[in-house]
Amino acid sequence: MKRLGLIALVLMLAGGMVAFAGGAREADTAVAEDNLERSLEVDISGLRSADGQTLLPELSSKEVPSRPDNPRSLPETDPMHWYDMEYLGWGVEEKINIPDSPADGAIGKRVIAIINGDHPYLTAYSTGMQKIADAYSMDLTVLSPNWDLAEQNQMLDEAINERPDMIILVPLDARVAIQQVRRVNRAGVPIILSNMLPEEEAMQYAIAWTGPDDWGQFREMARVWADELGRSGGVAYIRHAPGGSPYFARTYGPITELAEYAPDIETLDMQAPGFEAEATMQVVSDWLTRFGDRLTGIGLADDSAQAIGTIEALRRAGREDVLVIAAGNSKVGMDMVKDGDLLAITYQSAEADGAVALKTAVDWFNGLDVDPVLYIPKQVITQENVEDFMPAQW
Amino acid sequence: MSEDRGTETLREDPAEVAPNMNEDRTLRQNRFSVLISVLGIYFLAGILMIVGVMVSERFLSAANMLSVVGGVTILGLVAVGAAFVTYSGHFADLSIPTTMAFSGVMAVEALQFGIVAAIITGLLVGLVIGLINGFVIGKFRANPIVWTLAMAFVIRGLMRWIWSNRQIYPEVEGAATGAGQHFVNLYRYHLLGVIPMTVVVLAAFAIVLHFVMKQSSFGRQLQITGASFEAARLSGINVSRNVGLAFLICAMTAAVAGIFLTSLSRVGAYYMGEGYDFAAVTAVVIGGVTLAGGRGSIVGVIGGVLVIGLMRNVMTLMGIDTFAQTIVTGAVFILAVGIQSNSLRRLGRDDA
Amino acid sequence: MRSQTDVVTFVNRYRILLLLALVFLFMALFAPRFLNMFNMTIIMKSASLNAMAAIGFTIVLICGHLDLSVSSTISLGAVLVIGFRPDLGWSGAIVAAVAAGGFVGLVNGLLVAKARIHSFIVTIGTLTIVQGIIYVYTGGAALNVTGALDFAVADFLEDPILLFFPPRVIITILVIVGFEVFFLRTKPGRNFYMVGGNRETAWLAGVKADAYVIWAFIISGCAAALSGALFAIGISSATTDLGVNSLMIIVAATIIGGASMNGGKGQVLYSGIAVLMLTVLFNGLNRFGVGSEFRILASGVILASVVLYEAYSNYKKERIRGQRPELLKELDPQQLKNVTSSLKTREL
Repeated sequence: MKRLGLIALVLMLAGGMVAFAGGAREADTAVAEDNLERSLEVDISGLRSADGQTLLPELSSKEVPSRPDNPRSLPETDPMHWYDMEYLGWGVEEKINIPDSPADGAIGKRVIAIINGDHPYLTAYSTGMQKIADAYSMDLTVLSPNWDLAEQNQMLDEAINERPDMIILVPLDARVAIQQVRRVNRAGVPIILSNMLPEEEAMQYAIAWTGPDDWGQFREMARVWADELGRSGGVAYIRHAPGGSPYFARTYGPITELAEYAPDIETLDMQAPGFEAEATMQVVSDWLTRFGDRLTGIGLADDSAQAIGTIEALRRAGREDVLVIAAGNSKVGMDMVKDGDLLAITYQSAEADGAVALKTAVDWFNGLDVDPVLYIPKQVITQENVEDFMPAQW
Repeated sequence: MSEDRGTETLREDPAEVAPNMNEDRTLRQNRFSVLISVLGIYFLAGILMIVGVMVSERFLSAANMLSVVGGVTILGLVAVGAAFVTYSGHFADLSIPTTMAFSGVMAVEALQFGIVAAIITGLLVGLVIGLINGFVIGKFRANPIVWTLAMAFVIRGLMRWIWSNRQIYPEVEGAATGAGQHFVNLYRYHLLGVIPMTVVVLAAFAIVLHFVMKQSSFGRQLQITGASFEAARLSGINVSRNVGLAFLICAMTAAVAGIFLTSLSRVGAYYMGEGYDFAAVTAVVIGGVTLAGGRGSIVGVIGGVLVIGLMRNVMTLMGIDTFAQTIVTGAVFILAVGIQSNSLRRLGRDDA
Repeated sequence: MRSQTDVVTFVNRYRILLLLALVFLFMALFAPRFLNMFNMTIIMKSASLNAMAAIGFTIVLICGHLDLSVSSTISLGAVLVIGFRPDLGWSGAIVAAVAAGGFVGLVNGLLVAKARIHSFIVTIGTLTIVQGIIYVYTGGAALNVTGALDFAVADFLEDPILLFFPPRVIITILVIVGFEVFFLRTKPGRNFYMVGGNRETAWLAGVKADAYVIWAFIISGCAAALSGALFAIGISSATTDLGVNSLMIIVAATIIGGASMNGGKGQVLYSGIAVLMLTVLFNGLNRFGVGSEFRILASGVILASVVLYEAYSNYKKERIRGQRPELLKELDPQQLKNVTSSLKTREL
């Protein structure tokens, strides 16, 4: 009985406090009349990321083929099989319930960014975003759910509760994003998606998606790779962690590209040992035993731990001839490209990734037209141009 | 425990009964159990070797064997230390991954004072964490799983806060003294050009710790402590000190492993070492160190580590994909431990 | 002297409620935008997933075993409910998902109780196996449903219908309270405690320990799968590793809630409240806008303090025991009972 009484006490305490606070929300602050003008005048062309590149690069779009009737029925080596993953958001013509832009300037706006976890890339990502926020004196909060879906949902709800002027979301998963974005949309808060691709349906509830063209980058790099391989030989792939688009893009991007560009290159195997140097090292060693000289190339989903393990295994086996490509671009990966250990990595500016997402929000606040899908530029880093991208962002 | 009765004779005086093995019907029934209890994990390793030979003609090549061993040295280092915790009857140390990460990060931070300072700093981290764990669990009898989990939370939180989720690079931190390159090479040194130094270090640790466990008075006391904490305490053994030392040994080998892992990865970061806690428990337990404590050996643990390496090797050679590998690994784990504890029970040993 | 022990006993007994009140008060006073209806709803919703899964973990712990497979089972429930939805409809899918969770529990239970393999080993094994099965079933990608009806069901589950309680939270509370009543007020329920706390007494009382252990694991599997399934329906989708972070939170919460790794102690309700307490803490920390490292740090400090406090008070008791028996008389009866029962377990 005593216990029940105590529980009741705690609940009453909570209830009373809630009633007392009464869901108080801060009143909107009035926006100065010349805010829009001042916002439009802000010059951010001088901003640079830590690697000396322009923070805000030229954004690109890409050619979109028409959608086949049933992409999943095509073979996995056909690029069209992955249509729904690669060209998300382009098919969405009708947007639902997107709030109108206030068109009163970006200065002083409150933005909540919810990323997907803690990772050096995302630290640099947040840095890039903060640079834009500083330039426009915006109030930016970046929250990380540490790769936990339940936590990310909680943060989204909390963000809705705070009624910011914009939410920027890096979805943990493409398919989960639909319901997440729909919830934010239903609450009437504008949302921009960033970095990780969502499913197409999510795009009808969002203003835009910005981020790297993972598929395109790997296609471009696959061509460089194929040329160096002499368009023949056998390759194997170390995959990203399951779940999320990179798991597919960084393996099937090159596979489908090679199927067209260099059909003689054989795909030998693919494994997902995680981002762990020792485990990757063992998988690669096992491949060397299993395939011997047939293995001439390895594609990696990560240029840190996976690259370290791969190169170490190759070195121990005396197989420095195997050509390795990886998704970039960490400091570890850049150093390995410089040393000639890695043939190529992708250039994906983490700071630009974050900056572009917020800059898109700025454009929307300023009442400008915003493209629904924006890619940060893709580039392949090899030994020749690696110096241009030093020092690495993360 | 009806099945125990048949083996009563063996339990009473194994030395005397053993020569008469062939005449004793109940014992003949248990020959498989005897085999398992003697050979233990090496039996499974043998099966895997046979499968390996059948799958690939290059399986037995020196290069492949070396890569199997080379791929599990860090795990091996962690496991030989973790074995002491399990041996003392305290299950597992869940703070292993954070100890590895922390010692690596601290070593990298100390690189500006030279390579020796770095290694000492890394080991000191292991010493401090081991002492804290050992004191709280040995002296106050806190539950090992929960306490080490709490430690893992606290250290990880601190680490991420202090270095604000960044990773640090030995080549940068050690640039001034030139120690950075030495640090990176720690993992990459080869003895006589072929045998990785890590394998040598693991072998050295395994041999020393084997004698500590089997020959030293500490080892014998730890066995009694693991077998029955209360009995050990009542017979005047300093149980707190022994349990504390077991956790200290575990943390120290984790620190060594952490330094090697950081050297291999060329970065110090809070997320290093994730998953090594459960992997180490797996190796220790299939290696024959029972969770009840007081039973098993370092030789068995090394066997367990090798089996994990061989299993990955053979399955990749067979072309089994990662997902199926996960399922097989889990099933083999339960099966191997199940057979072992069942054999022990048939032999009239404890409820392992 | 007397009143002092009274306070100590009171604090010990209602530790988790006091902790919850303390954390809540602190956040209410200092965390910006913490105290409002909407945020309370968020807290209740966020706590639901782990609170329901903690039922099973707690009851297995009460029986003296560990169930580390809960995190995979949560994911399994989530993935199956979405996967089966097109063929079986929502109710059929929920039943199938919960049954699958129960099956995992049954396998765990049989291996622990009948094959006599240590639960720590068994459940680390099934943790891996179930995760592998999920990957094979989904091919590594998440699953979702996008029908208008599915969204309507999701919204119904997630929007509050009473104060700050959405149906998903109400279901969770009902299940927890139902189990709490079952375990504390019914004879079979109390037997679970006997099985874990004192095996000999249980045996003398004719309680079939094995059956109770198996049922505990089945309940654990079902509860974990149900919590994953409800969460998945609420978000109309399921990831392959939804429960991966749950295990550590559940372990921490269960211990903070007063359960003991040695079995025979703990309450389903208190584990649930401990999950709620951690959620309030995390939510409040988010309101300060600090990074996720503080969530880990704070939960670590709380867990460490609780473990240390418990261990230290046990240590003091142990010192009294055997050395100065006359001191025992000064202890209050409740504590004395604890001491003698711990004496008994040691002797077994």
